Amino acid sequence: MADFQTSTHRAKWVFTPEQLAKKYKAANQKAIETLEKCGSTRFEVDADGSMSFPDSKNNKRDNAEKHSRPKPLNIDEERIMRVYYEYKIREVCDAFYFPHKIQATALIYFKRFYLQWSVMEHDPKHVMLSCVYAACKVEENHVSAEELGKGISQDHQMILNYEMVVFQSLEFDLIVYTPYRSVEGFINDIEEFSHIEGEQIQMLKDFHRTAIAEVDKIMFTDAPLLIPPGQLALAALRSANKVHGVVDFERYLSNILSRQNSEHTISELSGSFDAIDSWVSKYQFPSGKEYKHIGRKLMSCWGQSSHDESKRKEKKSKHKSRKSSSEMQNGSDLAE
Amino acid sequence: MPEHDPAKKVADRYLKREVLGEGTYGVVYKAIDTQTGQTVAIKKIRLGKQKEGVNFTALREIKVLKEIKDPNIIELIDAFPHKGNLHLVFEFMETDLEAVIRDRNIFLSPADIKSYLQMTLKGLAYCHKKWVLHRDMKPNNLLIGSNGQLKLADFGLARIFGSPDRKFTHQVFARWYRAPELLFGTKQYGAGVDVWAAACIFAELLLRRPFLQGSSDIDQLGKIFAAFGTPTSSQWPDLVFLPDYVEYQYVPAPPLRSLFPMAADDALDLLSKMFTYDPKARISAQQALEHRYFSSAPLPTDPAKLPRPAPKRESVNSRASDFNPQVAPTVLSPPRKTRRVMPERDGFDGDANQGGRIDEDAGEVRQVAGGHIGRNDQVPSSVDFSVFGAKPPNRPTINSADRFHLKRKLDLEFQRPE
Repeated sequence: MADFQTSTHRAKWVFTPEQLAKKYKAANQKAIETLEKCGSTRFEVDADGSMSFPDSKNNKRDNAEKHSRPKPLNIDEERIMRVYYEYKIREVCDAFYFPHKIQATALIYFKRFYLQWSVMEHDPKHVMLSCVYAACKVEENHVSAEELGKGISQDHQMILNYEMVVFQSLEFDLIVYTPYRSVEGFINDIEEFSHIEGEQIQMLKDFHRTAIAEVDKIMFTDAPLLIPPGQLALAALRSANKVHGVVDFERYLSNILSRQNSEHTISELSGSFDAIDSWVSKYQFPSGKEYKHIGRKLMSCWGQSSHDESKRKEKKSKHKSRKSSSEMQNGSDLAE
Repeated sequence: MPEHDPAKKVADRYLKREVLGEGTYGVVYKAIDTQTGQTVAIKKIRLGKQKEGVNFTALREIKVLKEIKDPNIIELIDAFPHKGNLHLVFEFMETDLEAVIRDRNIFLSPADIKSYLQMTLKGLAYCHKKWVLHRDMKPNNLLIGSNGQLKLADFGLARIFGSPDRKFTHQVFARWYRAPELLFGTKQYGAGVDVWAAACIFAELLLRRPFLQGSSDIDQLGKIFAAFGTPTSSQWPDLVFLPDYVEYQYVPAPPLRSLFPMAADDALDLLSKMFTYDPKARISAQQALEHRYFSSAPLPTDPAKLPRPAPKRESVNSRASDFNPQVAPTVLSPPRKTRRVMPERDGFDGDANQGGRIDEDAGEVRQVAGGHIGRNDQVPSSVDFSVFGAKPPNRPTINSADRFHLKRKLDLEFQRPE
């Protein structure tokens, strides 16, 4: 679909930084309240989209009396968990040699999902896999759930169980616009604009590759929820151009603005490119120690502290291959 | 924030009325949207049983319809899971173009035909502008609302196009509406396939019967060549490069006028441009709308004044809860035709049957019409036979080995092009 102007993406899924912060806060707050009420935060989810509240009647309550109540994750810890699993999405997609488009779609699904929910409510490991599965389906690049699960040694039933909840949380807005396509378009345009030919073609190819790598980085930040994909692509091209110096970027920018009768100004665009650059430079993948610490907190929010793991009985027959708690704390061994 | 209990929404918002029919992937029932007072049609799709999760056809329909809004395209009002089913809420439509074409009590004037075709092409041009291929254009999928507006529906085979080199399956469209490039097995095609199908619909409006009723894919090509002559390489230079190209014995084209004796000259001119062999030379939906046919007299009839099948009497199956799938098809719709979104209609003698259609879904392979075309003993291919508990007579289906092969083939199509 090539019409971003009339898309659900543009109408519903581009936010201001303030709106975004508010959503993350609200999701976090909601989970904290659930934790206070029920002593646990995780929802049970079924393939038909039904969800049940964390059960306050189960053994968690007396557990909570005996031990101190589990401590909720704060907003920043939630972010770190998301960052961790977004990287996992890339690993899974790379392991299957999925095209950029699938990977980017899955990432955006994952980001959108956690605007509605806290990682305390829905295990990001399951959500991430269902996002990849859903992205494959929507982008008509179907891989069976079983194959996907097998390829990364995960229970495929969980992927299916979460599929509907993912679709629902996306409000069934399934077509997303990613910057990769725009980068390609701009590269072709620049080729024409700068009359690139002969030996310079190789330079343009390198430029293209660097720009794609820049987009990859941008996709890991909040930028895709804040900035339209065309601008993300231009930001990536600007960064790549600093390396390769293929084009007078300012001149090119004013050229496209005048051609499109755009309502944007150069300074406005530069401002948003600068913001994107700074998000990218601030990006940090969590250290193992950091991740483990938050992972443990998350486990206790799910009522799966190592103390009562042995007492806990398998309640859901469907969820056969639940990992042992230590395995989960160490992070899933995805895509290895 | 999504509600924690989406089940509430149904009870809160939609009042269930009678069952309208059995669609390709579930029951369709009528309901009232209490938020707007609007009558709606709700498609119910079973969840949680399939090996591959949410039904592909439904997913395609949702993803496309969420992004496109046009007066000539069916509106998807809502989508939500409820009690083990995915519910898709559409605006309610009274009838469809197939019913109009087949109703012998209806006289279609040239202006009426013009109006129906114009609305069809408007919807199609909008789809193509948004880079959506419908891929299942046929009169049965052109629904007609109470105000006479015609809308494209059933986007279960729709695809986004425009990516260069992306390969698609050629197993799309009911056979009678399939463009020659598809019959020759092309994997890379564009909006032209929808235009060819629209031309078939145009011809069907003029003739009041399906125009090219092939009984197999080969026979379909035979019917096409009999009508328009065997394509020559000057007419269609790329023809010989198509995957399933075979040389046919040369037949000359009869004058188009002889096939459509009643049609006006400008109608024939447009028809021939839509039926152009070479997809690259075929007129686009937008160009077709700009053809003089639409600006010459008689002007298209105002949709509200178009003839439509007589309003049906109060439905006999308003007790939706009593719905019994065993008897449903005979009660709910004419014997040879299971309606998708329409309530019961009496008295059309169906001589038109749907050609075969293979869904490319990995999760389901629909029944396919085989070589033999009987007349009145046919069941449209889009009916899900599982509800009958038995297969219909005289209709060859693909055997399980073929089915497996097809599934593999279609699965592969989902893989990356390179």
